Amino acid sequence: MLDMWLHGIEGLLQFRELAFLALGMFIGLFFGAIPGLGGAAALALLMPLTYGLEPFTALALSGGVMGGVPMGGSITAILLNTPGSAPNAATAIDGYPLAQQGKAGLAIGAAASANSIGGIIGTVSVLAILPVAKNIVLLFGPPEFFLLALLGLVIVSTTSRGKLLRGLITGGFGLMVAFIGYNDVSGGERFTYGIEYLWDGVHLVPALIGLFAVAEMINLYVKGGSVANNAASVKITKMTSGLMQTFRHWPTVLRGSLIGTVVGAVPGVGGVVASFLSYSMTVQAAKEQDRDSFGKGNIKGVIAPEAAINAKDCSSLIPTLAFGIPGGVEMAVFMGILIVHGMQPGPLLLVDHQVEIYGLIWALTASCVLASFTGLMLVKPLSYVTLLDAQILAPMVLCVAFAGSYAIDMTIENVIVTAVFGVIGYLMVRFDYPRLTIVIALVLGASAERNFHQSMLMGDGKWSIYLNRPISAALLAATIALLVIPVVRAMLNQAANRKILVEKEAA
Amino acid sequence: MKRVLGTPVTDYMPALGLLAVTAIYLVTAYQYSPDARAVPAGVAWVMMILVSFDLVSRTRTKIGATLMHWLNPAGDADKQDAVKRYPVLKQIVAVAWIAGFAAAMLLIGILYAVPLYVFSSLLIQGRRPLLVCIGFAAAATLMIWLLFDVVLSLELYPGILFGGA
Repeated sequence: MLDMWLHGIEGLLQFRELAFLALGMFIGLFFGAIPGLGGAAALALLMPLTYGLEPFTALALSGGVMGGVPMGGSITAILLNTPGSAPNAATAIDGYPLAQQGKAGLAIGAAASANSIGGIIGTVSVLAILPVAKNIVLLFGPPEFFLLALLGLVIVSTTSRGKLLRGLITGGFGLMVAFIGYNDVSGGERFTYGIEYLWDGVHLVPALIGLFAVAEMINLYVKGGSVANNAASVKITKMTSGLMQTFRHWPTVLRGSLIGTVVGAVPGVGGVVASFLSYSMTVQAAKEQDRDSFGKGNIKGVIAPEAAINAKDCSSLIPTLAFGIPGGVEMAVFMGILIVHGMQPGPLLLVDHQVEIYGLIWALTASCVLASFTGLMLVKPLSYVTLLDAQILAPMVLCVAFAGSYAIDMTIENVIVTAVFGVIGYLMVRFDYPRLTIVIALVLGASAERNFHQSMLMGDGKWSIYLNRPISAALLAATIALLVIPVVRAMLNQAANRKILVEKEAA
Repeated sequence: MKRVLGTPVTDYMPALGLLAVTAIYLVTAYQYSPDARAVPAGVAWVMMILVSFDLVSRTRTKIGATLMHWLNPAGDADKQDAVKRYPVLKQIVAVAWIAGFAAAMLLIGILYAVPLYVFSSLLIQGRRPLLVCIGFAAAATLMIWLLFDVVLSLELYPGILFGGA
C-alpha cells in the first residue's frame, strides 16, 4: 500500500505534472471567485482540453482545480460578501463583518490556513478508508453493480434538499438519454431516429459542458450586471496573524475537518451542509459569552466552515472513486474526466488504476495547500474578478465551451449536443430540477443496463438473484428504505401539523 | 398570467414536455426486440408515473399540495411564488443567442463564428462601444486559435459553407 502512495507522489513530482497542477490551481482560484461558476463549470470546460494529456497529468490538473476553488470562493465571500460557491456562504457570515471592521487580512489568513489543514485531514481520511473500500468492492458482482447504480440515483435524489420527485425524474431522463445508441445486449442501435452521430450514444463530455458551463452562462446572461461593485474599496492587513489564529483555535479546525470528512463521504450531501453544519456546531460549542459574537465577526466562524469545505472535497473522492457515486456536482463532472481517460468510476477503478488515484489524492492535497498561499498573494486581483461584466464574461466562456466541445473528437455534432444540453440545463435551473442525478444516470446508465442483463442471465431470468446474495439484498433494502423514509417522514409531519392545527382551533 | 388550477400555465410546461418526450420514447422502445427494450421501456414507464405525479403536484388543489408536500417539499407553491422570475422574452433571447452561435459555427466555422458572435453579442446585448466589441472579438478569436490550433494542433471546423463535412 505504502508502495502505491509513494508511486503516486513520485508520479506527481514531475515537472509536467506539477506545472499542470499549478495551472489547475490558478484556474480553480479564478473560477472559485466567480459566483455561479465554481468547480463544476471549470472542470466541464477543461474536460476536452485534457484529451491530449496523459491520464496522470489530467488528474493532476483536475486535482489542482478542485483544490483551488474553495480558496477563491472564500476570498470574495470575506471581502465582498459574495460567496464564490454556495458552501462559502457560511464563511461570509463572520468573514464579511470582520472585513468591514478592517480585519479582512485576519479573516483571509485564517481561512487560508484552515483550508490547508482541512484538506490535509481530509486526505488522511481518504488514504485510511480507500484500502478498506477496495476489499469491500471486490465482493461485488453484476447484481451488486446494478443495484449500486440504482442506489446512487436514489441517494442523490433523496439528498436534493426536498426534491425527491424531481431528482428521480431527472435521473430517469438521464437514463433514457444514456440508452441511446448501440446496444451491447441486442447488438443493434436504439433511439437514434436515423442520426448516425447517435450510434455512439450521446457523448458525455459535450453534454456535461452544456449542462454546467453553458447553462450557467445563459443564467448569467438573463440575470445581467456584474457580480459585485465594491471591490475597489477592499483593504487587507494582518494576514499573518490570521494564519496563526487557526492554530490557536485548533479544536475548531479539527471539528470542522471531521464534520467535512464525514459529510463528504456521504454521496450527494454537498459542501453547503458541511460548511453550515460545521459553523452551527461551532456556535453550539462556544461558551455562552462568546456565542453572541458569532455573525458579528468571530474568527472561529471563518475557520470552522473553511476547514469543513476542504476536508469535504477530499473525502467526497471516496464514494466517487470506490462506488461510482459522486459526492456532489463537481465530483459528477470529474467522473466525466475519469471516463474520458479510460477510467470507469466504480469498484474496479481502485484495483486497476491505483497509482493514478493516489496521484490524484496527493494533487488535491497539494493544491489545497498551494491555493491557500497563492490565494493570500492574489487577494486583490481575485476580488476584482467579481467586477467582470456578465455580458463580457459569458461570450468568452461560451467560445471556449463550444470550441472545446468540438475539439473532443473533431465532431461538429458535439457543438449541437452542447447547445441542446445547455438549454436543458438552464431549464432545469429555471424550473428547479436538480442536475446532479442526470449526470449520474448518464455515467452509470449503460453499465447499469449491462449488469441488469448479466444478473438476469446469472439468475436464469429470476428476480430472486437480487435477494439471494447478501450484499445485493442489503443494497436493495437500502434503496427501498431511502425511497420510503422521506415520504413517510413527510406524511408524519403533515399529520402532526394537522393535529396542532385542530388543537389550536379547539382552543 | 393565465392560470390553470391555480398555477401559472408556464409552470406546467416542463412536466408536459417531459410527458410528451417519454411517450415518444416509449412508443419507439416497443419497436425493438424484448431484450433490447426491457430496461428502456421499464424506465420510461416509471418516468410516466413520476412525471404524472409531478404534473398533479403542481396544481394548487388538495391532492396537488399533498403530493408536493410528500414528494417534493422544496417545490411548495408558496416557495415557488417567492422565486425571482425573469421576463420570458429575456430568457428566450438568451437561449436564441446560444442557438445562433451554434448555428454559426456549423455554417461558417469556428474561426469566423467566434468573432462574429462575440462582436454582435457585445454590441447588441451588452451595448458596448464599437472599439471594445472589436477588441474583445479579436481577443476571443486569438485565444481560440492559439489554444486549439497552435497549442493543441487541432484543425478547427471550417463550416459547411467552406467545405466542412
